[in-house]
Amino acid sequence: MQQTMPVRLSAAETTLVEQLKAAGADAQAERITVAGLPTRRVESYHYTDLRMLLKAVPPLAKAANEASAPALRVPGAFQLMIANGVVQENGTAPAGVIVGKAKGTALTLRDDVLVHLNTAFATESLNLNLDGKVDPVIQIDRRTEGEAAHSASSARIYVGDDSEVTIIETFSGSNQAHMTNHASYIAIGKNAKVTHITVDLSGKDATHFATNEYALGEGAQLRSLVIHAGSKLARSHVFARFAGEGSHADFTGLNLVSDGQHSDITLDVNHAVPNTTSQELYKQIARGRSTAVFQGRIVVSRDAQKTDGKMMMQGLMLSDEAQILSKPELEIYADDVVCGHGSTCGQIDEDSLFYLMSRGISRQDAETMLVRGFLEELIDPIEQDELREALASVIDQWLTGGLH
Amino acid sequence: MTTPILEIRNLHVRVEEREILKGVNLVLPAGEVHAIMGRNGSGKSTLSYVLAGKEDYEVTGGEILLNGENILEMEPNERAVAGLFLAFQYPVEVPGVATMTFLKAAINAQRKARGEGEISTPDFMRAVKEAGAQLNIDSEMLKRPLNVGFSGGEKKRAEILQMALLKPTLCVLDETDSGLDIDALQIVSKGVNALRSPERSMLVITHYQRLLNHIVPDVVHVFSDGRVVESGGKDLALQLEAKGYADYEKDVA
Ligand SMILES: Nc1ncnc2c1ncn2[C@@H]1O[C@H](COP(=O)(O)OP(=O)(O)OP(=O)(O)O)[C@@H](O)[C@H]1O
Ligand SMILES: [Mg+2]
Repeated sequence: MQQTMPVRLSAAETTLVEQLKAAGADAQAERITVAGLPTRRVESYHYTDLRMLLKAVPPLAKAANEASAPALRVPGAFQLMIANGVVQENGTAPAGVIVGKAKGTALTLRDDVLVHLNTAFATESLNLNLDGKVDPVIQIDRRTEGEAAHSASSARIYVGDDSEVTIIETFSGSNQAHMTNHASYIAIGKNAKVTHITVDLSGKDATHFATNEYALGEGAQLRSLVIHAGSKLARSHVFARFAGEGSHADFTGLNLVSDGQHSDITLDVNHAVPNTTSQELYKQIARGRSTAVFQGRIVVSRDAQKTDGKMMMQGLMLSDEAQILSKPELEIYADDVVCGHGSTCGQIDEDSLFYLMSRGISRQDAETMLVRGFLEELIDPIEQDELREALASVIDQWLTGGLH
Repeated sequence: MTTPILEIRNLHVRVEEREILKGVNLVLPAGEVHAIMGRNGSGKSTLSYVLAGKEDYEVTGGEILLNGENILEMEPNERAVAGLFLAFQYPVEVPGVATMTFLKAAINAQRKARGEGEISTPDFMRAVKEAGAQLNIDSEMLKRPLNVGFSGGEKKRAEILQMALLKPTLCVLDETDSGLDIDALQIVSKGVNALRSPERSMLVITHYQRLLNHIVPDVVHVFSDGRVVESGGKDLALQLEAKGYADYEKDVA
C-alpha cells in the first residue's frame, strides 16, 4: 500500500528536500516529503534502513580546489578524475579511448531514491568510448574534497563490439562526513569483454552510495567486482540486464566492515533473453560491531530459456557482535532454466589456524593468510598483475587495521 | 648431566571434562629417538597436541620442559620457534593458502624470531627443491593449496618436508607411517634419519614395529590409558608386536 499521510521528516530528509527544491527537482522533493527515505519496509532496503541510518546530509559540494593523496595507485593505469562531481582535465588518452563529457547523469531512470537523487544532483557525466583491446587499465578516480559535502558524480562508458577493457573506479577524498552518490552506466557491445571494479576507500565518517548499471550485448562477457572497504555507511546497487544472447557475467563483491560500519551490496540481475549465464559470488567479512549486507535478486524473464545462474554468499565473522546478512531471491518466469543460490557463514577455522601457528607463524599472520585465502577467488580472476596486487593491498591494509 | 631436549613431568590433561592424560612422565635426552606405542584412544595424539599447544586441551597438572624451559604458557607459534615440530597424524587441508607461500611464511617466521632477515627467493627455492627431491615430492604438488587434494601418503611426506625445512630440535611424529606404502615408508624413514643429529631429538608415535626397523629408536615407551606404563629398549617393540597390550590393561576387566 502507498503511504499517503505525510511523514514527519528527519533532519536528513529535510535537508534533502531543500536541496532538491533548490535544484528544481520538485517532483522528487515531493516524493520524499510524502514518503520519506526508504525504511526496512521497502524490500530493496530491507537491511539498510536509510531513514534510520542516514543521520544528516551535508551541504551540496562546491568545486574542489585541492586534492588529497590518491587512495589507490594502479601502476600503468590511464587516470581520469572526477572531483566533487566535476570531470577533470586528463592526460593524453591511450589508443582506443575517447574521453568526453555530457550534461546530466548517465543512469536510466529507475524507481529508486538514490537513482533519483543522482539524477537530480549529477550535473555532468564523464563519457568514455572504448574500442578495441585497450591495453592500460583505466582508472576513474572519484574524489570528494574539501569540507563535508553532498556530492553526486556520473560516468557513462560505451564499450565497442569485440573490445577488451578493464576499468577500476576508486572512491575517496578528504576525511570528512561526506555523502556521495555515484553513478556508472556501462553498455557492453557484441562479444566485448569487460572487467569493471569499484572500490570504496572513503573516509571513516563518509556515506557512500553507488549505482552501477550494466547492459550486456550479444556474446558479451562481464566481470563486475564491488569492494566496500571505507565508509561508515556504504551501499552499492548493481543493476544488470542481459540484452543479447550468449552473454555471460560474473557478479562479485566484497564487504569489509569494521566496528561501526554498515555496508550493503544489492544486486538486481535481469536475464531478459535466452541463453545467458551468470555467476554471483559475494563475500563479507565483519569484525567489531558492524553489519554487512548482501541482497541478490535474479529475474529470469518468460522467454529467457536456458538461463544458467548460480548465486553464492559467503560470510566470515571475526567477532561475535558482527552481523552478516544475506537475502537471495530468484524470480523465474521461464521453465527451462538452471538457477540456484546458497549462503554460508562461519568463523576462522581453528584447526587451520593451529596448523599454521604450529609452524611458527604468528596468530595475526596466520589469520591474514586464511582470510586472503578466503578472498582469493574474488581477486584471482583479475588478469593484470598490478591491478590484482593493488586490490590485494587494499585487503591487507584492511586486515591489519590500517585503512583508516 | 646435560638438560634433556624434552621433559614431561606428571602431565594431566582434560578434554571436555574427561581426563585423557593421567600423569605422563618422559625424559628425552638430546640426540635420542624415542618411540611411543599404545592402543587406539590411549592418548598419544592428545599428548602430541598438548606438546604443540592446541587450545581445546586443559592442562590440570604437571609441566612440559623444552630445553629446560616450561612451554605450557606459550602459543603454538612460540613453541615452534623454540624448536618444536609436530608432524600431524591428520595434516590439515587449508584451501586458499598456496603451499609455497605457507612454507616461505613458516621459514621466515622462524628466521625473524632468531633475528635473521627473510630468506631470499633463490635460497628458498633451492632449499625446497633439495628437500623435496629427497622425499620424492614433485614440484607440481607444491603448487597446490596446502594439503588440499594431497593423498594420504603425500600429506605425510609434505609434513616431513616441512620438518626438513624448519630444522626443529624436537620432532614429534604422530603416526607418520600410517597411510604410507612400502616405498614411501622407506623414503620417509630415510628423510627422518637424515635429520638425526646429536642436537636433535625425536618422539615417534607409531602402531607398527615395522617403522622402527627403519627409524631405530633408543627407547620404546608403552602408553596406556593416558600414561607411560613401561619403557625399554627397541626389543620392547618386538614383544608388543607378539603379545599386544593386554598385559598393560590392568583396570580393564
Ligand atoms: N577434542 C576432543 N574431544 C573429546 N574427546 C577427545 C578429543 N580429543 C581426544 N579425545 C578423546 O581422547 C582419547 C584419546 O585420543 P587420542 O587421539 O589422543 O588417542 P590416540 O592414542 O592418538 O589414538 P590413535 O592410536 O587411534 O591415534 C580418545 O578417547 C578420544 O576420543
Ligand atoms: Mg592418534
